Amino acid sequence: MTSTARIPKDGYALRLRNVSVTLGGVQILSNVTAQPAVGALNAIIGPNGAGKTTLLRAILGLVPYTGTIQIGQTVEGEPLRLGYVPQRLDFDRGMPISVLDFMCAGLQRRPVWLGHSRTARSVAAKYLAQVGGSGWEHKSLGRLSGGELQRVLLAMALSHEPDILLLDEPVSGVDVAGEELFCDLLGSLQQEGRYTMLLVSHDLSIVTQHAQYVICLNQTVQCQGDAVTTLTAENLRALYRQDVSLYEHTGTHEGHAHKHHHGTGGQGHTGHGCPGPHSH
Amino acid sequence: MIAQLPGLEWWSQMVQPLLERGVRSLMPEAWQHYAFMHRAIIECILIAPMCAAMGVKVVNFRMAFFSDAISHSAFAGVAFGFLLHDAITRFSFDPRIAMVIFGVMVGLGIAMVRRRTDLSNDTVIGVFFSTVVAIGIAIITAFPKHSAEFPKYLYGSILTLDDADLYVSALLAVGMLVFMLLSFNPLMLIGLNSELAHSRRIRVRLYDYLFAMLLALVIMTLIRTAGILLVTAMLVVPAAAARNLARSVSGMFWWATLIALISSVAGTLVSFSDALSYVGTGAVIVLAAAVIFAVSLLAKEG
Repeated sequence: MTSTARIPKDGYALRLRNVSVTLGGVQILSNVTAQPAVGALNAIIGPNGAGKTTLLRAILGLVPYTGTIQIGQTVEGEPLRLGYVPQRLDFDRGMPISVLDFMCAGLQRRPVWLGHSRTARSVAAKYLAQVGGSGWEHKSLGRLSGGELQRVLLAMALSHEPDILLLDEPVSGVDVAGEELFCDLLGSLQQEGRYTMLLVSHDLSIVTQHAQYVICLNQTVQCQGDAVTTLTAENLRALYRQDVSLYEHTGTHEGHAHKHHHGTGGQGHTGHGCPGPHSH
Repeated sequence: MIAQLPGLEWWSQMVQPLLERGVRSLMPEAWQHYAFMHRAIIECILIAPMCAAMGVKVVNFRMAFFSDAISHSAFAGVAFGFLLHDAITRFSFDPRIAMVIFGVMVGLGIAMVRRRTDLSNDTVIGVFFSTVVAIGIAIITAFPKHSAEFPKYLYGSILTLDDADLYVSALLAVGMLVFMLLSFNPLMLIGLNSELAHSRRIRVRLYDYLFAMLLALVIMTLIRTAGILLVTAMLVVPAAAARNLARSVSGMFWWATLIALISSVAGTLVSFSDALSYVGTGAVIVLAAAVIFAVSLLAKEG
């Protein structure tokens, strides 16, 4: 597929310099410096409590930080748009709200109690189709399965036409089949090359499968670089320290020349994730 | 002071007579001359969409306790109001002005503290709730001079509204309509996930405060109808019944409006019947809404 990314004016989509976050007297992040690859899937990995989600929140401007976070600009000088896929929606499942209500609330000015505009409806349909949710418009948001809801959240984020897509543990609490579907979606978005994606994930199988750039985070950046050279047993062992046996089991997987770290036990996951290897 | 509101004269000479004529034409012969009742019906029509719009948010985003805390602050607000009324001798100070200002301050105060601490919503609201009630009781017990007037605020009295009361409701209804046209969608996204809303460049904090302020204004207006004790029911019960009947956001809003209107009009009329003429109108209205809620439960099950 051809890349349709809006090329940022200064060559970066997102640039973090010496970003530090202290919350309630506890240092969560210190001196994080990173520049995710433009138009690629960038994975942020690290143990629990490493500050991965906090880093996303800092980029979104939701927590105070020191240092600089620069969002790139388009050639026209406009700031790049952020899209955000939250870990979950913490809402009342019995609430009468349809998928279309939810999507249109972000797509139209007209209040949804006065109906859905034609434009918003067609945009919603387009992005629902992209996540494999054609015809879901009138489903109740609260009745979707975890995986379906996550795909609607992805469609919602895409409908904002973001340049930078932030995904916070998008498959935690999703069943195996849902996780595989979501993982495939990420793969196809990555191949489209239109979005600079920042994925926080426990699931190393997604990361090894699709990430092009990896940032290893544990309060500070321990290592970063392109996926093949960064995802070494040595780096992972250093990152996860005593937990390493839970994360690492080396083996030769068909289609991969490099060591393939598979499985993410120890954080509530068993080793599932992306199905078979994709051709890169 | 309320009597000097700009536009009030125009309202009571031009608009309200029209509305009253409309309502009168629908009344049976025996009730033709009860102007206070016609005014009560007009009030019902004005407040129904407000109850629905706010009620939908309150029910879906679990803010009933927040709403209760604001309504109970009216207790302290009115008490303050009477103190000011006695202290100010140059003109007759309306204690309800203090009630409204105090209610808005409490709403904004809760919204502010909630943003700045990691305490749970319930805890923050609980602290405010008990504080404002204690302030009210402290003042009333120390200065019992006006204590006879408090039942009116506790129970409400829709049958004693004057032109100025209706005018205030009409102004608020227009304000609410504008607010709900412009900010219904952002508020919904904020309620579902405030980070998501933020990522779409919605000014979450501004909307939080605006909503708290408007909720306080609506509650203070509804107190005249339902009283401090039952105000939250006016928001919650119609919206809860609507939730049982609706499948989409717009369905819920329109059902809630309809149910609020039916229950308030029916409650007003029923409380006027001979058998119930000593029963508080606010209570009858809420009971009517509760009956509709029970029916909606059956409809949902069936």
